[in-house]
Amino acid sequence: MSLYLAAFGFGLVSTSVLAIAAVGFTMQFGISNMINLAYGEVMIAAAYASYGLNNAGINIWVSLLGGAVFGSVSSYLINRVLYAPFQKKGTALIGMVIISLAASLMIANVLLPIVGYYSVSYRQNVGPTFHAGSIALTGVQLAIMGLAIVLMLVIHSLLKLTRLGKAMRATSANPTLARNCGIPTRRVIDTAWLITGALCGVAGTVAGMNSDTFAVASGAGFLISIIAAAVLGGAGNPYGAMIGALLIGEVTEISAAAFSPEYKEVAAFAILVLVMVLRPQGLLAKRGTLAAAG
Amino acid sequence: MTYYLTTLGVYAGVDIIACLALNLQFGVSGIVNFSFIVFQAAGAYTAAVLALPPDSQNGGFQHYVFGAQLPFPIPWIAAAVVGGVLSVPVGLVVLRHLRVDYQAIAMLVLSVIANLVITNARPFLNGAAGLSLVPQPLSDRFNAYSPTYLWAYVAVTFVCCALVFFVSQRIVKSPYGRTLRAMREHELAVTALGKNPVVLKMTIFVVGGVIAGLSGAILVGFITIWAPSTWLYPETLILFAAVIVGGRGNNWGALFGAALVPVGFEEATRYLPQFGPPGLVPALQWVAIGLLIIGFLWFRPKGVLPEKPGRFAAATPVVGARLTKEPGVS
Amino acid sequence: MSPSALEPTAGSAPATGTGLGVAPQPMMTVRNVERHFEGMRAVDGVSIDILPGRITGLIGPNGAGKSTLLAVLAGTLPASGGTVTFDGTDITEWPAWRRARHGMIRTFQLPSEFAELTVLENLLVAAPNHRGESLRGALLGRRYWIADERREVARARELLARFSLSAKESEYAGSLSGGQKRLIEIMRALMLQPRLLLLDEPMSGVHPSIIGEIARYLEGLRDGGLTILIVEHELHMIERLCNPVIVMAQGKVIGQGSMIELRRQREIVDAYLVG
Repeated sequence: MSLYLAAFGFGLVSTSVLAIAAVGFTMQFGISNMINLAYGEVMIAAAYASYGLNNAGINIWVSLLGGAVFGSVSSYLINRVLYAPFQKKGTALIGMVIISLAASLMIANVLLPIVGYYSVSYRQNVGPTFHAGSIALTGVQLAIMGLAIVLMLVIHSLLKLTRLGKAMRATSANPTLARNCGIPTRRVIDTAWLITGALCGVAGTVAGMNSDTFAVASGAGFLISIIAAAVLGGAGNPYGAMIGALLIGEVTEISAAAFSPEYKEVAAFAILVLVMVLRPQGLLAKRGTLAAAG
Repeated sequence: MTYYLTTLGVYAGVDIIACLALNLQFGVSGIVNFSFIVFQAAGAYTAAVLALPPDSQNGGFQHYVFGAQLPFPIPWIAAAVVGGVLSVPVGLVVLRHLRVDYQAIAMLVLSVIANLVITNARPFLNGAAGLSLVPQPLSDRFNAYSPTYLWAYVAVTFVCCALVFFVSQRIVKSPYGRTLRAMREHELAVTALGKNPVVLKMTIFVVGGVIAGLSGAILVGFITIWAPSTWLYPETLILFAAVIVGGRGNNWGALFGAALVPVGFEEATRYLPQFGPPGLVPALQWVAIGLLIIGFLWFRPKGVLPEKPGRFAAATPVVGARLTKEPGVS
Repeated sequence: MSPSALEPTAGSAPATGTGLGVAPQPMMTVRNVERHFEGMRAVDGVSIDILPGRITGLIGPNGAGKSTLLAVLAGTLPASGGTVTFDGTDITEWPAWRRARHGMIRTFQLPSEFAELTVLENLLVAAPNHRGESLRGALLGRRYWIADERREVARARELLARFSLSAKESEYAGSLSGGQKRLIEIMRALMLQPRLLLLDEPMSGVHPSIIGEIARYLEGLRDGGLTILIVEHELHMIERLCNPVIVMAQGKVIGQGSMIELRRQREIVDAYLVG
């Protein structure tokens, strides 16, 4: 039993990492109506950007900011330079998903010669370990959880309380209508990619902080859990993604404790298949905030 | 030199077969099968474990199921069957209700997970190390390393190519192929015309799976090894690049694309001198594949050899008169 | 040998005129049909009859649920409740393709041509019972299906001639004008010799000069005995073509009758016909 409680504790940390990542991913889907398969690789690239700073002697929490900026700018550029022009040209969904997978491979293979194949780890002081029953978490892990909660609250306020948030919701529900109502959709979309890119960068860095090591090859694994969480919550719905992250985060950690850590992502996959068979629109589709089209 | 040329020949043949299959699924029917390589791998593993002796042999250094030591051509046939059978559950889960980009990510995730599972489940198919010493077809009767055997293998591969090309042409040039193309253009409209889209998609998905399975069997019979690292998900993207460059929906395009992209980029450069730090050349190859896809989708989305519309003989001038020329698809 | 493509297979209903004599047996009976979207009732308890040999109009303000109702009738959207009966058979649970095979063909509000197929191919795709349209037929080869192909090509060309589009037969459908795409959709439907045609805004996005032409074709089809349900905003066309006309607002039917009768009803005029 205590094994599972410990796993539950780790699951909360995984959830936090995954929630930050999945909310960014699902918001990109909502605002641009496309699945950005390069998301996992941008996460890794940002994690390496943070690593570069961290390795130069900068504190990991400051480096995290660098990773966020890197993720933000590179996501913005990918959309502006690659995705948006193709969408403007009228490329169908089928083409967009191929383009994003191609982008994903290109990022990974530009990264590889630069950073190498080997796993790296951050220089960080994980702080004292806190115990609650059989749950044992380090200071860094608790800080990641705190950061995730703060970021979720920020996203919530952004969407619900600000003009920008309203404009983003309107744009994702119906871009043409939003444009006709005088919303500068292009600027809204650009801002959305900057924000979601920052989430992506933060997620990549905290994922690296939470695991002992990371490498370029970690991107695909990240992507699977993110897709599972986002689809589970109804693609395009940030609140759904948060709940999806909780489910996937806990299930992967608990199944890792029960079976074998190698199959972590298999549990995420099993949930994904179940959702796709039983409820392809996602668990929370009814109350979609950033409604998914189609 | 013989070994180099015959290896290139077999790889070319296998890539052509795979591209023809992917063209039927993706080019003609619009199914984004990002797990294509899994079906090729399923065929390869099937052929391998059916041809291999029980795993207690060779000192028991590898572990796998079956080890049936069946004679050629049973492993090849079984590989094709397994490729087709595996397509059924995958197709039923993925192709029925999901939007097309959801289908694509579901396939992608499947590809990653299948590789992960096979890598970690060692007793099943020898895990990450993969299978080796797979007997070549009829190697009990012929010297599998003689030039004659190697060239004969190339010849058999190209016979299979021709067969698959023939089948693909029959499909593409038929009314069935026309309906598949229509489904690619507008699935809901096809449904509203009384076609069952699930049947359409499932049949072509299974056909593609059968051909993919066969391609895996041909490859493993020649290279005699098969491991998870040979069928990572990006491999599928090379085939997509080939079909996009060659021309979606055109079998000649698939042929051309296969000769150009996987053969030209991957197999030929495999034997060229490397430069820079280790890993730089393969990494640049992947970047080039990505650029090729993006470049073609932007500048020439229909590919080098675009799909051809059906041609029909001119109508006879008198309405209702007996048609003198064949109006069929040419 | 080949039956005229325009000749609809006669329904079981008795011969029809426009509003004369005994009310004919309805071709389609819709009872309490509902369709919910994320908690919103887009179609909210609709009960209507569609009479054979007539063009029934379906009008109403934007968001009234007209297109949704049409999609539910065609089976492209499943109903959330209620029953749909076609020719005495309960078809509520049937998928769209099965309804189509029983003679109910719909068109779409947005152009739905097969863009990268030629005009002639667009029509041929619709051909029912083509031997070459299964995987088996395809593999058996051209000799197995060429007779069917010849028959269908002849039928398709007959239709193209009737709609004055013969010259375009080898062009990609995607390159046609909006109005021509509409005609393709209608011809495609006629290839199946439908008994009930469900048209979703066939005049939208069509050049005004072609609207009259489409209307003439529809009248011709009606006079040939075809039953049509049409969702449309062009009230002039509705007035010219349709009897009866059904008015929907907020998912409900708020009136039906001839256009003249409807104009007399205050609440309908308030709700839709003016402003």
